[in-house]
Amino acid sequence: MTKKTKSDSAPSLEDRLKRLEEIVRSLEAADLDMEGALTLFEEGVEHVRGAEATLRVAELKVEELLGPEEDPVVRPLEEDPE
Amino acid sequence: MTEPRVWSVTQVNRAVRSLLEDTIESLWISGEVANWTRARSGHCYFTLKDEQAQLRCVMFKTEAATLPADPEGGTTVRAFGGLTLYEARGEYQLVVRRLEAEDAEGLWRQAFERLRATLEAEGLLASERKRALPRFPETLGVVTSLAGAALADILTVVRRRAPWTRVIVRDTRVQGEGAGDEVAEAIRALGASGLVDVLIVGRGGGSLEDLWAFNEEAVARAIVACPVPVISAVGHEVDVTISDLVADVRAPTPSAGAETAVKDGDGLSDVLGITRSRMSGALRAIVFRRREVLGVRRSQLRRSGVGLVQPRRELLGRAGDRMESAIRGLATLKRARLSEVTAKMDVLSPLATLRRGYALPQDVNGRILRTVDAFEEGDRFSLRVSDGSVPCEVRGGP
Repeated sequence: MTKKTKSDSAPSLEDRLKRLEEIVRSLEAADLDMEGALTLFEEGVEHVRGAEATLRVAELKVEELLGPEEDPVVRPLEEDPE
Repeated sequence: MTEPRVWSVTQVNRAVRSLLEDTIESLWISGEVANWTRARSGHCYFTLKDEQAQLRCVMFKTEAATLPADPEGGTTVRAFGGLTLYEARGEYQLVVRRLEAEDAEGLWRQAFERLRATLEAEGLLASERKRALPRFPETLGVVTSLAGAALADILTVVRRRAPWTRVIVRDTRVQGEGAGDEVAEAIRALGASGLVDVLIVGRGGGSLEDLWAFNEEAVARAIVACPVPVISAVGHEVDVTISDLVADVRAPTPSAGAETAVKDGDGLSDVLGITRSRMSGALRAIVFRRREVLGVRRSQLRRSGVGLVQPRRELLGRAGDRMESAIRGLATLKRARLSEVTAKMDVLSPLATLRRGYALPQDVNGRILRTVDAFEEGDRFSLRVSDGSVPCEVRGGP
């Protein structure tokens, strides 16, 4: 899923996992030359790392969407301590 | 003889009105609805009747607004209200404060079924319309009341399972007059923001009337038009609303909605671990096959070489030797490349290599510069070492 508001940031978890599936499938299909396999493997490791870094985020970010539809504002939501 | 007392019409009507209002307390009356009209003012006028008699009724705007829908003619209802006299016409009438279909919740069910039939006829409830949810949403939109228990429930689940998820809430009233329109507006706003990957629309449990906003057409239409998949999570297990029917996924409660929206992080870690070892395994297999192929080729060559050499050994002796050593050299070279690959695979990390003192030249786009040809005079590039990058420039030409 690509959206203009997100396109400059790092790949999303979903994108990474999707790509990883493709990589594993290609590697296991094994009709690759060594150079290609290595490149894929390195890309795969990068995605595994990226995904693991995402999973380490521990603080949930909660925001509120305010304002009219045409002119929305997002700001952090102060939660009542439970 | 004194003159008889003469009343004005107004006086009489006023007196009768007082008599009616003061002597008959508010009461429930059962009958069939006829001639229902909703005036521009919002007040509703109708007649209650049975086989023998009729009674004029009025339901003022405020009370009428609480009805899920105008009752169809012929519906048997119970009306609660007080009797009065409309002085301007001299007609007596019932001022209805509550109106219920004879079977409890019947009016609501009537409205529900009517809307459901409309939406169904438009094909909006078809299962082919349901969109798949993103498996790992980056951003989760929530349409609910900031004050409600539903939000707290949702956040608890997301925090436990997938705390990396960004949650964006659009506050809305979820019950009372006009709540349906507000919920619909909130869905549109979050959908149009382009920020969320999936949306949860919902609230905690309540009476049928409390949940009514989620049975309104405006909400149904907003869900249908929403550019991202919508999870409807209204009330408890047993409550089914129109929004449940049109949403891409129906969750029985807000907590369950959140569980549907975000996958468990622990499971994901496992998946990543498995992916990692599958990649290593696949690469190892490729390397292994390469080695086998090399081995076979080598012995094939050697055998054919021997066949050629044997008859005219003297003449070809030297050539044979050279061929043999060339093959050996080639094999050594390939093997060196293979062990290089294997080493890379075992450490998994380019960083491990860097820590041993190697450096990685990368161009401005992060591409690795592997050969002399990749460097042009004056090019800027960076040298990645174990703890960071060093900016460099090519001087003197390659």
